[in-house]
Amino acid sequence: MSEMWVNMGPQHPMTHGLWNLRVLLDGELIRDVDPEVGYLHRGIEKISEDRHYNEVITLMDRCCYVAGLTWEHLYIIASEDALHLEPPERALYLRVMCDEFQRIASHLMWYAAFVQDIGLMTPFLYGMRDRDLILDLFQSFTGARMTYEYLRVGGVRNDLPPGFTDHTRKVLDWLTARFVDYDKLCLGSDIFHKRCDNLGVLKAADCVAHGVTGPMLRSAGLRRDLRKDRPYAVYNQLDFEVALADSADVTGRYVVRMEEMRQAVRILRQVVDWLDHHPGPVMAEQVPRWLGAPYAPVGKEGYLLKRNYPKGVGFSSVEEPHGEAQAYVVNEGGEHPYRVKFRSPVFANISAARQYLVGYRIADIPPIMGSVDVCVGEVDR
Amino acid sequence: MQPDDLTGVLAPKLGVRLKGVEPFPGTAGRVRFEREAALDLFRAVRDDLGFRHLSMVGGIDWVDHREVFYVLWSDDAKQYLVLSTDVPADDPRVETASSVWPSANWHEREAWELVGIVFDHHPDLRHLLTPDGYEFRPLLRSFKLHEPEELEVKARHV
Repeated sequence: MSEMWVNMGPQHPMTHGLWNLRVLLDGELIRDVDPEVGYLHRGIEKISEDRHYNEVITLMDRCCYVAGLTWEHLYIIASEDALHLEPPERALYLRVMCDEFQRIASHLMWYAAFVQDIGLMTPFLYGMRDRDLILDLFQSFTGARMTYEYLRVGGVRNDLPPGFTDHTRKVLDWLTARFVDYDKLCLGSDIFHKRCDNLGVLKAADCVAHGVTGPMLRSAGLRRDLRKDRPYAVYNQLDFEVALADSADVTGRYVVRMEEMRQAVRILRQVVDWLDHHPGPVMAEQVPRWLGAPYAPVGKEGYLLKRNYPKGVGFSSVEEPHGEAQAYVVNEGGEHPYRVKFRSPVFANISAARQYLVGYRIADIPPIMGSVDVCVGEVDR
Repeated sequence: MQPDDLTGVLAPKLGVRLKGVEPFPGTAGRVRFEREAALDLFRAVRDDLGFRHLSMVGGIDWVDHREVFYVLWSDDAKQYLVLSTDVPADDPRVETASSVWPSANWHEREAWELVGIVFDHHPDLRHLLTPDGYEFRPLLRSFKLHEPEELEVKARHV
């Protein structure tokens, strides 16, 4: 049979965002693939060169629309590195809380979209409903459900509203019970196993060679999690396990993500307990006025620091819900970063598509690409 | 792993083409090298030092020259390493890293289209984020944000 190129996307239910998967088909067999991205390229790295350090935070929310707070955190660490600022401890705990809630929210979004792709409709509604509980929490302390702009260079914008931690505990209890149901719905279903087992296999060595990180890498059995390997914020003071699987297939990625959500709940319980007993400032004192700290005390020398920062480079990496994100911020002494470069984990994960798609059939593409958890906002930036 | 350890391994292999290893925040160090040594350095870093994971490749426009940087990760040392080389602005070429780390493929395509770094022997140096036929290098300092650009975009697949 003759081969032909077929476009799956940019408008296709499988893509979950605006990108195009070109597939070379021989009958139903996939011979080659060529992912095409860039439909959502907004030039975030270029725009950042023309903005104050704090103004870039707005762009970070738009980087990944399901994990905005994690991207803010990534950029903030690199900027504080470049500017030599030290945030207070309470701000660090608040950032970890944001990260972990964002991880659950992102994985729930993935869960909803992924299981719908393989034909289970009910979990889609469950996933979206439970994610809304987290968005409600975000709204209560950031004011927004999607583009939060909550973290600041030198701390976070504001403290939590009264009663927040009690409400959080209720949400965590609810989620813990729901995760059991999720597993029953999926792992207990024959349809799920028939569509997911032994599909999209990518072994650990291939993952490393092709730059694949995150749940995809851990589903291949490699214990690599930046929260453990290179702890940032206060992760070294928290007790949790790295989620692992060894099947390296679609089911393995499901198992890893579900376990990550449980571990995130475990982390959040510790963080919330800590926050209850340790009030304090949420913004560093030496932050200069032009960096904008309207709710925090500004040190006497703060204003003088303007334009006097030493030149330097900030490098940071965080374990984003999709994998390992990195930021490289070059500071040349002015009010704007000279150059900002971001590494998107999904960018690398999609670039390896040939490795885990070729040889399977066209009907396998939705579950396989679903298990990659594509977020086009951060791929294109 | 400290900068001195890196020098100890890399200096015998590269000789004068190694311009030095300096401390770099949050990583094992930054290796500065002459671009002619690119392939030798990549192989030494992967095989002798164990940095098997290439995280990203990026370019910086310093107006009088351009810089190409590579961020690597080692699972054994649990550390990052930054490699960096300078290329002249009128001849911004460097050997591709994709023969050593396949993951460099897309990162180099991006650095080529946005910063104008040409990667020799790259298997597939096509536009990635910008449309085919887009002739600007948006991340160069000469590309101003507030000036209109004239753009003629060819259809991607005719």
